[in-house]
Amino acid sequence: MTDVSATPAHAAVSERPQGRSFGKIALRWLLYVVLGLFAIYYLMPLFVMVTTSLKSLEEIRTGDLLSLPRELTFDAWRTAWSEACTGIQCEGVKPYFWNSVMLAVPAVMISTLLGAMNGYVIAQWRFRGANIIFALMLFGCFIPFQVVLLPMARVLGLMGIAGTIPGLMFVHVIYGLGFTTLFFRNYYVSIPVELVKAAKVDGAGFVRIFFAIFLPLSIPIIVVSVIWQFTQIWNDFLFGVSFSQAGTQPVTVALNNIVNSTTGVKEYNVDMAAAIIAALPTLLVYIVAGKYFIRGLTAGSVKG
Amino acid sequence: MSPILQGILTIIIGVGGCVGYFYLSNIILDRFVFPPRDDDQGRNIARATAVRPWLFLMPAILALGLYLVYPVLGSFLRSLYNRSGNEFVGLGNYIQMFSEHGFRVALFNNFLWVLFVPAAATFFGLLVAQLTDRLRWGSIAKSLIFMPMAISFVGASLIWKFVYAVDPDIGIINAVRDFFGLAAVDPLQIPFWNNFFVMIIMVWMQTGFAMVILSAALRGIPEETIEAAILDGANPFQIFFRIKIPQIAGTIAVVWTTITFLTLKVFDIVYTMTGGNFDTEILPSYMMNYMFRDDGRATAVAFVIMLIVTPVMIYNIRQARKEL
Repeated sequence: MTDVSATPAHAAVSERPQGRSFGKIALRWLLYVVLGLFAIYYLMPLFVMVTTSLKSLEEIRTGDLLSLPRELTFDAWRTAWSEACTGIQCEGVKPYFWNSVMLAVPAVMISTLLGAMNGYVIAQWRFRGANIIFALMLFGCFIPFQVVLLPMARVLGLMGIAGTIPGLMFVHVIYGLGFTTLFFRNYYVSIPVELVKAAKVDGAGFVRIFFAIFLPLSIPIIVVSVIWQFTQIWNDFLFGVSFSQAGTQPVTVALNNIVNSTTGVKEYNVDMAAAIIAALPTLLVYIVAGKYFIRGLTAGSVKG
Repeated sequence: MSPILQGILTIIIGVGGCVGYFYLSNIILDRFVFPPRDDDQGRNIARATAVRPWLFLMPAILALGLYLVYPVLGSFLRSLYNRSGNEFVGLGNYIQMFSEHGFRVALFNNFLWVLFVPAAATFFGLLVAQLTDRLRWGSIAKSLIFMPMAISFVGASLIWKFVYAVDPDIGIINAVRDFFGLAAVDPLQIPFWNNFFVMIIMVWMQTGFAMVILSAALRGIPEETIEAAILDGANPFQIFFRIKIPQIAGTIAVVWTTITFLTLKVFDIVYTMTGGNFDTEILPSYMMNYMFRDDGRATAVAFVIMLIVTPVMIYNIRQARKEL
């Protein structure tokens, strides 16, 4: 679209009588006003979050909400990391941050691997019932999780992993499967069947074809799937709050507890720092691999 | 550090277990169940080929059965029983619920959410996508607007808690009011409108999503149609509303339904912002009030949510199939 302004067609328009050029200037200004408002709405909260976390509590008290910190201090970050209170305990977000890491990393790996296998089977070994299975899995992506909370709590209890990190991991693997299968299935559908046929002729088996041909071809979609799963699991709150107990809570739950704990003085800078720390991994993923992040999003929703 | 060791162990067991299952079950199938030797070599190979896909989908099918089919049915059955689960009450939970003020408020608010959030997010997303397309620093603006997508709902709510804080030293809104000499208010306690203050957070987060997808759709519009319109003397508004919008209507619908869908399920924002107080409850957060306390009621609410979500879900999946 940006190229349009350079085309002759556009030049023809700007040669029209001046009434139009006034309208154009007005439009330009309108454009700036609208964009300015958008900037305030979308960026101000982020800006305030970062600057507040770098101020001392005394400086926050002086007002000047929008000013940059006069003295940069990372005290709030330190407190948030290792001292802030979540209810009775005061260990900061550190233990919960590690809980989230221990939860997310294995869950992401397992669900991606299973998703790749499912996608491969559904896309390349067309068999009767494949479509039904796939439809069921799509259903699994979109079902409101509220419906499954209680029975799942019972299942976890029966398995003896209620309130543990492996239990929560299990839940995330299950509900991530739909999406990861979807990613890989859509990716593998475009790989020509001839490739599989040729490999079969050469004597490669089912498993061999998957590990030797498909997996190496799937690096981009693996990245998409890993990023998608990671952000989903890291940012999850519902499962975390329902299926974990003190000590195994993921970072989102701890963050909520820190902010809502009513003991003592409200330390806004610490709360902000905790929010940033909790968001850092996913923000980092977004900054480093934004392209794949967006691809996962479009694959997950538009083609869901 | 033992937690790290533990984590690595889980990874090894989990991933190794999966690979091991695929590998071993394959060998067992080929060597022992249907060995391709003797007289019916051909038949056994064909049989093995027919069984194999199911074998490999088995973990997924089991998982889905255990965690999807059973929970949905189980939930529904549970919603027909009383609080402690020992007495069948039929639709009693549903009937009682509908007669309660709290539930009706939640239902009404949910309705507001579904009307407002997808509309606002899609509209802003479209606007940003269109406006930033012409600017040199447009892509930077877009990445920044997209950023909230990477944050958790809890994190985002927390940020907005500060925007709304009553203390004018902290809350942006009250800082502005203070500047004009107005008394501080708590936006989250203003009846009715507080719902919108909470919804704005969701809009804030979802605009980036709408923007990214609509921006791609706008780029996909054939140049010729726009050039033809320019030659015919169409003004920018006409080009936007008469030429561009109709061509991306399908994508707009998908974005709209996807956000609708998310909106119906989100509970984190209300839960962290107000805890459902001051009449800001929506169904998912209302349900959480009863979770593990009155399970009959909780599952009944869950089923109401499910009923509301299902049409949107079916539409969305259909639309997606068309696009595939």
